[in-house]
Amino acid sequence: MTGSEEFELESADLVRAYVITKGRGLPDDQQLSLITLLTAAPEQGQRTLHLSPEEQRLLDICSAGYLSVAEIAGHTKLPLGVVRIVLAGLTEGGHLVTRPPVPRARQADKEILLEVLHGLQAKFG
Amino acid sequence: MTKYTANPVVWALVLVLVVAVALVVRQRKAALASRQEIDGLREHYSDLEHRYTQSVEAAQEEADEATKTVLKSAMRTLQGLAAEQQLILSRLQSKYGESAILQDLLEVDHTNSQFGRRAQSIAVLCGGWLGRHRDTASVYDVVRSAQGRVRHFRRVEILSQVDFGVSSRAVEPVALALAELLDNATSYSSPDTVVEINIRTVPKGVVIVVDDAGVGMNDEERARAEKLLSSERVSGVAGLGNPPQFGMAVIGVLCERFGFEVSVDSSSPYGGVRAVVLLPHDLLTGMPEKRVPASSMPAAPLSAPMSAQMQAPMQAPMQPAMAAPVPAPAVAPAATPVESEPERALSSTADGLPLRRRKRPMAIVPPTTPVPVGSTRSGAEAAAIMGAFQRGTRSGRATQPDDADQATSTRASSSEGHEFS
Repeated sequence: MTGSEEFELESADLVRAYVITKGRGLPDDQQLSLITLLTAAPEQGQRTLHLSPEEQRLLDICSAGYLSVAEIAGHTKLPLGVVRIVLAGLTEGGHLVTRPPVPRARQADKEILLEVLHGLQAKFG
Repeated sequence: MTKYTANPVVWALVLVLVVAVALVVRQRKAALASRQEIDGLREHYSDLEHRYTQSVEAAQEEADEATKTVLKSAMRTLQGLAAEQQLILSRLQSKYGESAILQDLLEVDHTNSQFGRRAQSIAVLCGGWLGRHRDTASVYDVVRSAQGRVRHFRRVEILSQVDFGVSSRAVEPVALALAELLDNATSYSSPDTVVEINIRTVPKGVVIVVDDAGVGMNDEERARAEKLLSSERVSGVAGLGNPPQFGMAVIGVLCERFGFEVSVDSSSPYGGVRAVVLLPHDLLTGMPEKRVPASSMPAAPLSAPMSAQMQAPMQAPMQPAMAAPVPAPAVAPAATPVESEPERALSSTADGLPLRRRKRPMAIVPPTTPVPVGSTRSGAEAAAIMGAFQRGTRSGRATQPDDADQATSTRASSSEGHEFS
């Protein structure tokens, strides 16, 4: 059984994704969406002690500045959801700081819109 | 004297005497012969008995071998299927990584791993296939792999790490043996306790210590476990009891075949069993290279431009800032050259056979830089382009019903993929 002919060529990952996530569930979309921004928390003294290699790697990626969740996932080979779970765990552990995504556009002032509408109606309609 | 010779009585007596002597002699001869015969028979009997036991043993061995062969090939099929399913699950996990299905996929993956381990254990007992080839992996990853193969993996905690790797031929056996230990540890302890794993370096190599807070083993169980771990155990699947207890027997086989040691003779400070796996130096290597070596690389080039951008508050639109070419060139040079190196090195097996490498999963952020196109255009230009595009589509829709023949001709020639709605 140790003969090389017994070995096939392709094998799955040694460490499965559910072990990397430690069996935790997906975080809330509000808590950690694709465009939530993350950066490493300032204190990083003894962080390497109890962290898995994946967690350390994610912290390394985040240590440079604010990155979005989607972008962090792009730097790893892990599925996006797995990255989100690990990031949520790191955030809970105080290793990461999140920052809600910048809203796309400010809510338009309804009164101004109405005024414009009235103006247009007065001029053309 | 002569008067006696004439006496017929004397003659009769002599005759009787002679006859008696002859009889006695004959009897003796007969007795001797029968004794010899008895000896012969006895010899024959023991010979027969010996042959009988021999043939019974042979028949038993043959039956054992037959059972083993059947089980081996049956398990081989199951193992193959489990491995195939694992690959499919890996693919699905990266494909549906963004959706909520991922959670379920991870659970299916977990069940599949346990299923694969069961098949693997039985195969090992029957001298069968151990699994697919593994690359060298760190001791920590091997332990985590073992952790993933037991039902209650959430209760397993790895408390320490060492900077050692396990050589590729030992990865699977060590992971399997450790998984059996963890299975015992988690099954024989209460569900709210934690099974601790400590990895330490010792002069002889690396030890992996598994402590559970269960009820421990009594002397009889301990003796049985030690017998299964030693070389005196019964081979094959016979004698595993009903219900069969595979764990220790599997570990015993793996230890003997791959040269690591497992002992369960000490008790844990938490009251349960302490199992110690000793990996000797010839099964160990240095830390394997990271599969994705971009880990440390992007941190340095990223830091300067990103932090500069971050200092300016984020009033600028988010998308261009985040998708700007800053991270992309950082990944591209890091990923390509370092990645190709281990691929070259591992492109053939020890026997010189070519080794197909798994393709690296596609990154979600592609390392190309398509973004600058957008950033070089001014707002007015972009508006003009969009306006032209919109005018074009509108005029196309407007003319379509009027001159249908012209539209069909253009449709056939140029707009194969467009939808006319």
